[in-house]
Amino acid sequence: MSRQVKDNILNGITYLCAFLGVLFLGSILVYVLTNGLKLINWDLIKNDYWSQNYLVAVTDNEPKEFTCDSCNGYFSTKWGVSFTDEVTSHKENVITIEYIAPGSPFENLTSLTAGDMYGTTIPVDEGYMIEKLDYIDSQGNAAIGGKILKQDAKALQESLDDASEITSIYIQSPGEGIRGSLIATLYLILISLVISLPIGIASAIYLNEYADKSKMNRLIRQGIETLTGVPSIVYGLMGVSVLFPVTTVFGATGTSILLGGLTMAIILLPTIIRSVEEALIVVPQSLRDASLSLGATKSQTIFKVVLPCCMNGILTGVLLSIGRVIGESAALIYTMGTFISDNPVVNGPATSLSLMIWSFMSAEQPNFELACAISIIILAVVLVLNIIVKIVGKKLSKNFV
Amino acid sequence: MINASKEKKNKIIDNIFKFFFLAMAILSSSFIVILVLFIFMKGISPFLPGYEFGQVDIISFLFGTTYRQDQGIYGVGFIVINTIISAFASLLLSFPISVLCALFIVKIAPKKIGEIMKSVVELLASVPSIVYGVFASGVIVIFVKWLASIFGVTTAGGSSLLAVIILLAIMIFPTITSMSITAIQAVDKDLEHASLALGATKTQTNFKVVLTSAKSGIFAGAILGIGRAFGEATAVSMVAGNKLFGPTFDLFDITRTLTSTMLAGLKETSGLDYDIRFSVGIVLLFVIFFSNWLLNLLKDRIGKNS
Amino acid sequence: MDTCFDVKNLNLYYGEKQALKNINIDLYKNKVTAFIGPSGCGKSTFLRCLNRMNDLIENCRIEGTILKDGVNIYEPKTDVVELRTKVGMVFQKPNPFPMSIYENIVYGPKCHGLKNKAELNQIVEKSLKQAALWDEVHDRLHESALGLSGGQQQRLCIARAIAMQPEVILMDEPTSALDPIATSKIEELIESLKKDYTIIIVTHSMQQASRVSDYTAFFLLGDMVEYDTTSIIFQNPKDKRTEDYITGRFG
Repeated sequence: MSRQVKDNILNGITYLCAFLGVLFLGSILVYVLTNGLKLINWDLIKNDYWSQNYLVAVTDNEPKEFTCDSCNGYFSTKWGVSFTDEVTSHKENVITIEYIAPGSPFENLTSLTAGDMYGTTIPVDEGYMIEKLDYIDSQGNAAIGGKILKQDAKALQESLDDASEITSIYIQSPGEGIRGSLIATLYLILISLVISLPIGIASAIYLNEYADKSKMNRLIRQGIETLTGVPSIVYGLMGVSVLFPVTTVFGATGTSILLGGLTMAIILLPTIIRSVEEALIVVPQSLRDASLSLGATKSQTIFKVVLPCCMNGILTGVLLSIGRVIGESAALIYTMGTFISDNPVVNGPATSLSLMIWSFMSAEQPNFELACAISIIILAVVLVLNIIVKIVGKKLSKNFV
Repeated sequence: MINASKEKKNKIIDNIFKFFFLAMAILSSSFIVILVLFIFMKGISPFLPGYEFGQVDIISFLFGTTYRQDQGIYGVGFIVINTIISAFASLLLSFPISVLCALFIVKIAPKKIGEIMKSVVELLASVPSIVYGVFASGVIVIFVKWLASIFGVTTAGGSSLLAVIILLAIMIFPTITSMSITAIQAVDKDLEHASLALGATKTQTNFKVVLTSAKSGIFAGAILGIGRAFGEATAVSMVAGNKLFGPTFDLFDITRTLTSTMLAGLKETSGLDYDIRFSVGIVLLFVIFFSNWLLNLLKDRIGKNS
Repeated sequence: MDTCFDVKNLNLYYGEKQALKNINIDLYKNKVTAFIGPSGCGKSTFLRCLNRMNDLIENCRIEGTILKDGVNIYEPKTDVVELRTKVGMVFQKPNPFPMSIYENIVYGPKCHGLKNKAELNQIVEKSLKQAALWDEVHDRLHESALGLSGGQQQRLCIARAIAMQPEVILMDEPTSALDPIATSKIEELIESLKKDYTIIIVTHSMQQASRVSDYTAFFLLGDMVEYDTTSIIFQNPKDKRTEDYITGRFG
């Protein structure tokens, strides 16, 4: 009897431990979803991170009659534009444009900022925020409105409907988008794979198809395996000290996507080599024998018979690598820098999605909502990659049975 | 049909490829040598006479108990101790949970639940560290703050040694669990049957026979886990708080690890403040190397006993 | 009679272990020669010496000479790739490449730089016809070879070897993985290929050896015990051990 009680207690403890595992994953998911989900929309992907300020004038400075059936906000019938109150992820109250009616003067705004920009059209769209409105009211007096006067959307709409002429508008483009970082991440993935794949596949081929058990080959294998245990932050140090001179050839003057990509390529090597080797091992020796017995050379055998058989392994390596690149942060802080760039170029600094989180989370005012929203995107990509790897893996084991 | 010149060309191509593959393999494995070499060269330079930004005393660097970039005082002695404390404490916390979770997945859970749990562990393993960092600075710190208030202690917004330990424990949980799963699955069925045949219950067999037989593999998982704990950078930096002196023994006090030091206030890309990070990197590599060596020694002794 | 291989004092070692002991044998052109003997007697190992497939095995060391057309194939300057184009091989388990039937056949010729489409088509048709597979597969040449039955796959492997127009075809227990009907088809095929090729076959089945071969060599524990025409080996063996094996006392 007491033995049974003891058994039950022990089993109960293992249940508890497993539950803790679920709790870890569950709380991470619940946390990022509850905080970030409301920011997930097309604007997040489309927008720049830094918002731009514009001082603009309307070209067609004439109030008319407009209607809007589907507006939820406050619609100015004279000027054909609708406003709503919103709160940014920085907890700031703003007035944003909800809708611009066709033919409205707001469709054609030109810059008043002196310099090259003067007179150019500013493509204002839904989501832009009105900071300040200078206008001539119905009595012919100059007046101002907008967020700067702590107006809300309703007050601004009333001011606007009272305006006979608009002098100028101070407008802010919506920021906090991830377009630039998304592009930088894609560059990063591309660069690291283009470099890492050929080296990794060739190394795996050497280790599996050519290497005998000589001392040198054991050393080569040892070297590659040791790479796995090096923390990624140390790779960052390596990147700036060893690889930086390489990137200067391509015009980089400091941290750059290229430097990040080169560093990632080295981090990815062990992963790619291992996946390809695992696939090479599964290819039956008899296929190699058959090819050689037909008088094919060893390299012909490898390229025509062996490699096509391990495409799945290569694909697995690529998918795992993409996941790794998207998630990597420490090594990239050193090599890519932490400045969020909206127009990333390969030989200049930029942030990947993970790096972007690091960048604004280590600032004075951490933006948790945006961090969670980007985390959701990263987690979703990683999840999809994992599922594909599993499916590919199952196919791989079926292939030769 | 066979054309002699073509054959010759084939042979030359074959040899070229052979050397290409060999060259790539040598390149791949030489990166570790290059990595260590360059980091050493750069990391040692501040201690050499004639260093352009003013020579640093290596003894006060290694054993110092203050690290202030603003005053140019660089001592990592206390940081090494902090790093070791946080890594081993997280292992202590995570190890039993991970091993028992693995035992649950392989031996105790119904097959369906075991499969689901395995996916949970795999998912946890693939969560990037920056996401763990966001989670830690949004949830773990609040938990720590709440815990501290129970004890009547105030914390720096929850950033603390305890937060680091909890974060690292969660992060190394999937590593140790998946290694333990492999080790437990590899235990010989005959051993289990022998135990059951002697009248032991299933649970007794699991705890006494299965776990002891798998201990070598489980220990390997622990070594891998602590390696991750030592090297983890971004997530830890987000909750460590970067104390300027130490070492930190109080769970609710802020701390500073080698990796968080390497990331803290990184702005310039030259000068002593930058170069010294390479020196800290060398110290980190040494800490990892020695703890691995020590734990492997321990593992061999445990392995011999059985 | 013309000899195809002239083997003199051949010894083969796997590390310390000697797997073939002082083999001396003349293999004749355009004949079918069978190697028989219990498992592990070295017959397959010897077969693989003839196109140097043993080179692929680590720790394998070979002494002695194998003359082909008067030249020792183990001389350092021998081109192994060229040797293998002359000495084709069919393996125990059918091992078609995971490509289409057509791609399997043209694989060898393409590796040697043949690109002419019409010529390749011709090779495919001729090889498949010679391997008695044409009628069964001519309408699905571009489907995967893995969709064929085991017997068909093995005949495809023979066709693949024939496509290189070798002088010799080595067969390493080519029917051991096949059912009786597929086996008899392969045996018929061997009979018909005899006039164009020298065939050397390793077989477990004594019936098969007696049915298809002109000459038979009996191997035991790395020794070649006896070598003669098939009728003498099976009806009037000179060595007691051969007789014991033939009559089924061991094996």
